[in-house]
Amino acid sequence: MVHSPATGVRGKVSDIDHSDIVAPVPRRHLTLQRSESQHWLGSPPLSPVSAVSRTLSPISHVPLSPTHARKRYSSMFSAISESEKSHLTAALSSQSISAADQKTTEDVGMARRWTRWMHKQGLKHRVLPLIVLFTALFKWCITLGSYSGQGTPPLFGDYEAQRHWMELTIHLPVREWYTYDLKYWGLDYPPLTAYISWLCGVIGARIDPSWFALDSSRGIENPTSKIYMRATVLACDTLVYIPAVLFFVQTWQRNRSSKTQQVALLTLLLQPALLLIDFGHFQYNSVMLGLTLVSLCCFAVGHDLLGAIAFVLSLGFKQMALYYAPAIGTYLLAKCLTLGLRDGVQLFLQLAAVTVISFAVLFLPWLPPIAPISAILDPISRIFPFQRGLFEDKVANFWCASNILVKWRVWMSAPALVKLSAGITIIGFLPAVVGMLYSGYRLGASAEKSKQDSKAASEPSFGPSPVLPLLPYALLTSSMSFFLFSFQVHEKTILVPLLPLTLLLSGASNNSPTFKLGALVNNVAAFSMWPLLKRDGLALQYVVILALWNWMIGHNPFKLRHKSLVDYLSMAIYGICILLHISECLLPPPKRLPDIYPVLNVLLSTPVFGVTWLWSIKRSVEVSWGVGGLGSLSKASSAVHSPGANGHLPNGDGSTVANPEGVTSSLGLSIVGERLSGLRTRSLGYAQGKKSALGSESVGAEFN
Amino acid sequence: MQRRSSVSSSNSTAKRTTFSEEPARTEPVADSEDSRKNASLLKRADIAEWFRDVTKAEWDIFLISTCLKLLLFPAYHSTDFEVHRNWLAITHSLPMSRWYYDTTSEWTLDYPPFFAYFEKLLSIPASFLDPKIVELTNLNYDAWSVVAYQRVTVIITELVLALALQRFIRGAVDPSVQRIISASLFLHPGFLIVDHIHFQYNGFMFGILLWSILMARNGNKLASGFLFAVLLNFKHIYMYLAPAYFIYLLRAFCLSPSGELLPGRFLSLANAVILVFLASLGPFLLMGQLPQLLSRLFPFTRGLNHAYWAPNFWALATAADRVLLKAAQIFNIQSLQINTPGVSSTSRGLVGDTIFAVIPNVKPVYTFIITIAFQMIFLIKLWRAPTYKSFVAALTLCGYTSFMFGWHVHEKAILLVLVPLSLLAAENNALFRTFTIASVSGVFSLFPLLFTPGETFVKIAYSLCWAILIVEPLSKRVYEFPTSLPWVILDGLERLYIAGFAALQLFVTLFPIFAHSRISPSASTMEFLPLMLTSVYCAVGLVWAFVRLSVIYLRKF
Repeated sequence: MVHSPATGVRGKVSDIDHSDIVAPVPRRHLTLQRSESQHWLGSPPLSPVSAVSRTLSPISHVPLSPTHARKRYSSMFSAISESEKSHLTAALSSQSISAADQKTTEDVGMARRWTRWMHKQGLKHRVLPLIVLFTALFKWCITLGSYSGQGTPPLFGDYEAQRHWMELTIHLPVREWYTYDLKYWGLDYPPLTAYISWLCGVIGARIDPSWFALDSSRGIENPTSKIYMRATVLACDTLVYIPAVLFFVQTWQRNRSSKTQQVALLTLLLQPALLLIDFGHFQYNSVMLGLTLVSLCCFAVGHDLLGAIAFVLSLGFKQMALYYAPAIGTYLLAKCLTLGLRDGVQLFLQLAAVTVISFAVLFLPWLPPIAPISAILDPISRIFPFQRGLFEDKVANFWCASNILVKWRVWMSAPALVKLSAGITIIGFLPAVVGMLYSGYRLGASAEKSKQDSKAASEPSFGPSPVLPLLPYALLTSSMSFFLFSFQVHEKTILVPLLPLTLLLSGASNNSPTFKLGALVNNVAAFSMWPLLKRDGLALQYVVILALWNWMIGHNPFKLRHKSLVDYLSMAIYGICILLHISECLLPPPKRLPDIYPVLNVLLSTPVFGVTWLWSIKRSVEVSWGVGGLGSLSKASSAVHSPGANGHLPNGDGSTVANPEGVTSSLGLSIVGERLSGLRTRSLGYAQGKKSALGSESVGAEFN
Repeated sequence: MQRRSSVSSSNSTAKRTTFSEEPARTEPVADSEDSRKNASLLKRADIAEWFRDVTKAEWDIFLISTCLKLLLFPAYHSTDFEVHRNWLAITHSLPMSRWYYDTTSEWTLDYPPFFAYFEKLLSIPASFLDPKIVELTNLNYDAWSVVAYQRVTVIITELVLALALQRFIRGAVDPSVQRIISASLFLHPGFLIVDHIHFQYNGFMFGILLWSILMARNGNKLASGFLFAVLLNFKHIYMYLAPAYFIYLLRAFCLSPSGELLPGRFLSLANAVILVFLASLGPFLLMGQLPQLLSRLFPFTRGLNHAYWAPNFWALATAADRVLLKAAQIFNIQSLQINTPGVSSTSRGLVGDTIFAVIPNVKPVYTFIITIAFQMIFLIKLWRAPTYKSFVAALTLCGYTSFMFGWHVHEKAILLVLVPLSLLAAENNALFRTFTIASVSGVFSLFPLLFTPGETFVKIAYSLCWAILIVEPLSKRVYEFPTSLPWVILDGLERLYIAGFAALQLFVTLFPIFAHSRISPSASTMEFLPLMLTSVYCAVGLVWAFVRLSVIYLRKF
């Protein structure tokens, strides 16, 4: 449907009088876009648009090339070696050292410096294996430490739970998995976890049966069994999460340079909270997150059915993936809406069938032909434990934080609390759902209209939906809303909202608000799990991994340059975190308030998470405006062309034209200053192409 | 700035003049002049300047390796950990006169006095941190406090190495290459394995050695000799390198180019060295404990090979002896005189004397003579060409000869070869290939130090990362395609040999599992097969690298 208009755009652009373009944007900005830029993905008709930008770029490059080239040159620390190679004088080289130090290298992290160096050395092809090897090395070094519940009989901790599941799955018939001795770490994860536990158990029992002997192996703590258990986590992570992240950077960041993709890879693979929980505390979250990530990538390349299967697998591994369900479901629904009536209904039915079938396959051993119908209740009641409390430990969510003032559990009965929390959670993720559905509906309507107009209905179900850029934000909104407001949340669950946020962060440039917020929330998330990590004896790993990751991505909250209000705020948050750590080290808590430090931790972390939730809603609104799903079409197109539009962007940080976040916040729809609007909006992407295709008359009028 | 231009103009390193007394400055001249004017602020300005002088890349390397080392705190540590803890206790709770007499623990103090002073220094904070650390009778204490404390001291003292390597970059002929070499040394898997997992203070010791070599490069030979004397009084294993130092300093410092003795220089060097030795041994000399001290430092009661044969010439000889013995037993060859105690000797691989069954037995004095003879060849060469590079090569070869033919050599001593050899790695293709073979087999030969399964992945993954990061960029700079057919074949064989390590590691990893699964009577006697194979395979590479390096040195320098 876009094909012919897009070529039309190319024809138009070539007609542009280039002398009108006063100050073109350097090429860097054309490629430097957030993860939203993936809406070009897999849509062949759109590549001409980017091709246009590429053919235009030499022109736009000319006035800037000298300074631009110099900047690039000095920005690489290996530029020094280059200069020495080419026999420049020693004096010059020392100047370039200091120039490089003073200029751009300080803004990037180790990950980028290192990838630059590798590319410079001609070792591009070694970067990926090295990243995998290197991150695996660090993960393994974390596993050398202690784990959850080490040396704490009689119940031990999560490590023992996982080991116990391996033990019981290999010794018991499938039907008894969810009923055997529930008091001692009864299985309470969905079947895929059980199947994988079975596999790990079978392999482990071949090496040494005593590790998984039924009942007698409870609480077994010997070095080799610990190494085996740790190795299963590393293996699962390597087999699921690493390919998923690779898939992600190659789809969602397909238009980015390979260096940026590799930096994103490092950012995602060394995410501190995930490493600490999976490899320190001991869990298999990376499998669940990896499967969700696979489903996102499938959506991005247009394989919705595969994506649905991957998401069901994710749900089937750990029920926490349910936090994503509203966003994923809404995305698929919105896609059905954009496709119009016939294709939409067809896709919807296919999706429904695939989902039901994959769930049925997962739960097959508990379903009627094999088992009586009541058997299905065993896993279900174990997976959703509503009989537990509103919250267990201190967790940085709304209920626990407000519990200091409002004693919820005294005021209300448990069923009422379940209903209340469910209601608030739904309200919490409603903006994402409504926004995406509405965007889908609008785009569907406009697609129908354009289809009628142009009669170019060329297989619309290929490629991702135009609402795809909304998906990460919707995932964040929905999972954060669950984390903040839902019933029975663990502190570890913060990993679920962290995934979409880190995905967004991995594509953001170093001084953008997304990057800063993403880094802040990642750090605060690790901080919010501090009481847990401290109990597990992972203090050293906590400090080291946080320092490493921040250095890696180049995030230094205490750097005193170019500060905005938000930066000062985050600096204050970091300051308080460090202060709390120090005072916890030095001062024992007062007798009257033994929980003072965990409570202060909750009180500090909850607002940060709450702000993230609000921010995600704000950004979804902006992005959905960007993809053209909000407001009437005529309004949107007027926003494109009204010079002052950028000033009215609802950017919390008061972004200006120069702010790169502003550029992408509306996907180049309205960002650009007066001088740039024409070319820039053209080259920036799909929304533009589409927009100008739809409103081609007016755009053409402006260009001519 | 002036310094840099002077360096780049002179191609030969021997011509370098003494700019080394001052820390190298890359800041603009105006800045440093300001700081000089302001005498009271001089120190602070210097420190600030030094901080600015450290590039981002250097911070990166330092930070990432420190992160890794911190994460390795809970990793396996060997008895050397307890050895050092015991020394903390000895030096803290006993008067100096008892240090070299104490036998409370079996790990008696057997390092020279400077190291004992160093332990004394370390024991002071330790006693505040946890008094149990320095309790003499608290044997095998390994609480978190002592692990963290001792590991931290290793990381901190390794800063000496980091600083020396950073100074190497400043003022190098080609800083981009030196940067890689410096990084390779700082990140050397040998240090990670031996210091940060197994536990020793080699980073600190080699830091002093590299400072001394740096001084030699920068033309300050007096400081070089002084630092080496200090180093000898920290750890006497560096005596292996002493002949090269002696000849180099005598020829290039104490004698004029035409061969006349320069008394002023000679006396100042002699005084410096004597002063160092007096500071170290003086107290024990006064107490009349020198014989006891020396008997602790040089115990001549050990065997030819260590429990795990260090991959040197004797490992090959021992392996050949085993093969000949088998052959003699199978074919029943009467002409060979089989030494009966030797039949059961080394196949068990236990600590103790190695007795050959077929080959004539080796006495300590033979190894001594062979070592000296080989060293003489290289030292004569050094005497004729006393340049800096020749010195480094001769230094490497002195260490290498001792490692190859020494009595009871420990596998950790390979670092004595690998560290100075790294400095020459990027000189040309021939040296680079020698470096690669020696490094790969040398690092691999250290793997058996860590036999615990948890650390297996760490040592392999880390060494692989290191090899890719260091070897490939250097190879891109110096690689030359072999010119004639024999060289092509040799090149291929060397590649094949290096690739063989993957197969060897696979075998070493899988052998215990299979040996465990089918419990056969032969399994127990074959228990040492992986170790033996590792030792022999590494020895092949190290002997070959030794031959290569000797030929290159004698012909090219």
